[in-house]
Amino acid sequence: MATNEEIQKDLEKREYDAGFITDIESDTLPPGLNEDTIRHISAKKDEPQWLLDWRLEAYRHWLTMEEPTWAAVDYTPTDYQSISYYSAPKPADSGPDSLDEVDPKLLETYEKLGIPLREQEFLAGVKNIAVDAVFDSVSVATTFKGKLKDAGVIFCPISEAVHEYPELVKQYLGTVVPQGDNFFAALNSAVFTDGSFVYIPKGVRCPMELSTYFRINALNTGQFERTLIIADEGSHVSYLEGCTAPMRDENQLHAAVVELVILDDAEIKYATVQNWYPGDENGVGGIYNFVTKRAECRGVRSKVSWTQVETGSAITWKYPSCVLIGDDSVGKFFSVAVTTNCQQADTGTKMIHLGKNTKSTIISKGISAGKAQQSYRGLVRMGKNAENARNFTQCDSLLLGDKCGAHTFPYVEVKNATATLEHEATTSKIGEDQLFYCQQRGLSEEDAVNMIVNGFCKDVFDELPMEFAVEANRLMEVSLEGSVG
Amino acid sequence: MSVLAQTRQDALNLFEKLGLPTQRDEDWKYTDASRLKDLLQPTPTDANIHIKDMGITGLDAYRMVFINGLFAEAESNLPEGVSILSLAELEKNSVGEDAEGIAKLFTVDTQAPLLNGFNAFNAAKASDGAVIILADNAILTKPLYILHISNQSNVVRHSFMIGKHAEAQVIEHFISTDDTKALSNTCSFVALKAEARLEHTRIQQEGSKQSHVARVQVKQCKGSSYQFHGVEIGGILSRTDLVVNLHGEGASCDLNGLFVLGGRQHVDHHTRIDHKAPHCTSRELYRTVLDGRSHGVFNGKVMVHEDAIKTDSNMSNGNILLSKHAEIDTKPELEIYNDDVKCAHGATIGQLDDKQLFYLRSRGISAETAQELLTFAFADEVLVAMSNQTVRSYVEKAAFAKLPHSDDLEEMLGS
Repeated sequence: MATNEEIQKDLEKREYDAGFITDIESDTLPPGLNEDTIRHISAKKDEPQWLLDWRLEAYRHWLTMEEPTWAAVDYTPTDYQSISYYSAPKPADSGPDSLDEVDPKLLETYEKLGIPLREQEFLAGVKNIAVDAVFDSVSVATTFKGKLKDAGVIFCPISEAVHEYPELVKQYLGTVVPQGDNFFAALNSAVFTDGSFVYIPKGVRCPMELSTYFRINALNTGQFERTLIIADEGSHVSYLEGCTAPMRDENQLHAAVVELVILDDAEIKYATVQNWYPGDENGVGGIYNFVTKRAECRGVRSKVSWTQVETGSAITWKYPSCVLIGDDSVGKFFSVAVTTNCQQADTGTKMIHLGKNTKSTIISKGISAGKAQQSYRGLVRMGKNAENARNFTQCDSLLLGDKCGAHTFPYVEVKNATATLEHEATTSKIGEDQLFYCQQRGLSEEDAVNMIVNGFCKDVFDELPMEFAVEANRLMEVSLEGSVG
Repeated sequence: MSVLAQTRQDALNLFEKLGLPTQRDEDWKYTDASRLKDLLQPTPTDANIHIKDMGITGLDAYRMVFINGLFAEAESNLPEGVSILSLAELEKNSVGEDAEGIAKLFTVDTQAPLLNGFNAFNAAKASDGAVIILADNAILTKPLYILHISNQSNVVRHSFMIGKHAEAQVIEHFISTDDTKALSNTCSFVALKAEARLEHTRIQQEGSKQSHVARVQVKQCKGSSYQFHGVEIGGILSRTDLVVNLHGEGASCDLNGLFVLGGRQHVDHHTRIDHKAPHCTSRELYRTVLDGRSHGVFNGKVMVHEDAIKTDSNMSNGNILLSKHAEIDTKPELEIYNDDVKCAHGATIGQLDDKQLFYLRSRGISAETAQELLTFAFADEVLVAMSNQTVRSYVEKAAFAKLPHSDDLEEMLGS
């Protein structure tokens, strides 16, 4: 069948339209990592002593750890001494007060990426979304701070939160993902530079979508952001995250940590559209995306959902997890991952059921094309006290091309007799009969493939907020563009 | 040193290199093999075991009996005209060219998946085993029943070679005469030539303190078919590595497993199916019923290689926990390097269906019996594929005797 080969060919040619470089003067630390680097980062951000000590503790722990090798990915290991751990566009303080102070070049960058930083654009009523824009190591702008403050919501760069809300940061930082959790989390804890901090007070429903946009620009830098979101009792927030990077032949490291804390009756919806530069068709360049994301449903009836659309990165190593501690808490994971060319992704989720009547749902859709390798790696654990815990897992893979691979490694550990679990997985290619059926009804091959792929991903796209659903659909279309010759 | 002695020495060296697996090995994550260390060495003796009426009675089959890992010829009944031999006999009488062929029976394939120290030890120290060589087109008219009776640690090594278009049925049964702490280390190697068929049953029903480590390695040529029934009822710790290599086009395998456990029993089955050729089919059905503080582990891996187009693979794993202290760890894995495949797997963990329970109760059946009946039905589904009815009813009785209210059930099923 010609179609699959053609789709593949087009996938190989798939363009990365966020691959430009912003020519901006930056203040960059020389490459290398030692305690002085960390002291330097800490000093740049004028951090209190406790945070510096916390970083150093993480760094010392990191030195004793080894980079994990269990994931089904193959890459040249990063030389941690050859990257720079801090890069900020000049002049850079921890976030300017108004947009007028932001370098126009930066504004232009975000405009090009389709990220609106000017509040008046929203006032037209088109969108209702607050954005924190992180450029390399610092946050360059945060919109709608004032309006959010009126509602009692704190939304600011984490470096700012350290100064303005030290108690909150101190209380929660590292409680979900401890410093020594894993190799990359330890590295992040030592050198994290910026990221978003969100606190939703008791009973508040966040009046707008919150969003952080991460951009790597500088050469030979790594991005290490840290996001901390706390949903206090009865609150609700929807948070979106997007990321891009320029096209370069060198691999760049992105090792982020995201911590979510959900208290009684609260809910966090966390969505990611990850579109880091995936490298070229020969696998040269691209971002190493080694991310630790974890949510703790600490309160009763708390809820969390992770929705991710993963199209970028050369190597992805990412397992957004839910620890369901509170009784009746709910964790959800929806994922669409597209790997093409030489991309490799090892991704999945962990659902740790500890409380009674906890529920979790996992829907994972993988599309693998070209020479890409993709793995779903998941864990569902039901502890001794997780009475009546329930899980439903479905992971499907779609294969396009005879050189790609799709793998599933689901771990299931159940220690409670009242737990119920269902796990299903399928792997197949687009059926010739499906294509034939669509074409017979007058659809072009391209439309047919698009329709089938869309249908395949629908369960996940439905979970995305409107703005992101559009973005996700667009990304998918780019991937499959011109699939008919 | 003779070729044979050298081969066994190599295996011993390999064992010393590998050592016993630890829980740091991904494939042994849930099973602690360290406590088997002291039980490893076989102590073969012609133990004075009265074997009359042991095993499956009333089974119309050829019979081969191993007592503590040694072939007991007097107790056996073998067919004429078919090569069913004792490995120890072969080894003793091997000279010249024969020796090389026999040495091959002890060769360890270091590249084989899930290979571990126990397997190397088996090749080094096996005291005996069955060697079946079924000629092309031969059909074994009755099943071959291999009964293993033990009260000491033992190491046996079987090889089943089934010729082109040949057909056989082999039943391996493991029992103990008492509750001695011991380890049975067994390996069964199966080679199926083109269009050959083998139905292979293993029933592990050893004493309550006995441990069991097994490896079943199967290589299938074109169009051959292999059916496996693994039943785990006895023992305290039992681990089986079942490795199937679908090497020839159009080969198919059908793997069934049933664990019915209670007390502190721990059973771990790792299965690995390699689809290496086009048009192969694999089907796998594992069910576990866990009571007491028992622990079940199932790890099923299907690997579809690049050239294995038109692969059809299906795996299903169902588990019921009857007690709040029981634990199940399951991991159905798929690794696929080719796009022209149809693969699916599913796993469930849960309780009996309330609606079904209600249905039975509304017809005057007590809650316990209804539960028992549904558990029976759940587990029995695995046994449906077993072609020998005598074996099947033996397993049903032995397995379901372990359920808490089996008396009522027996009455209901009229057995």
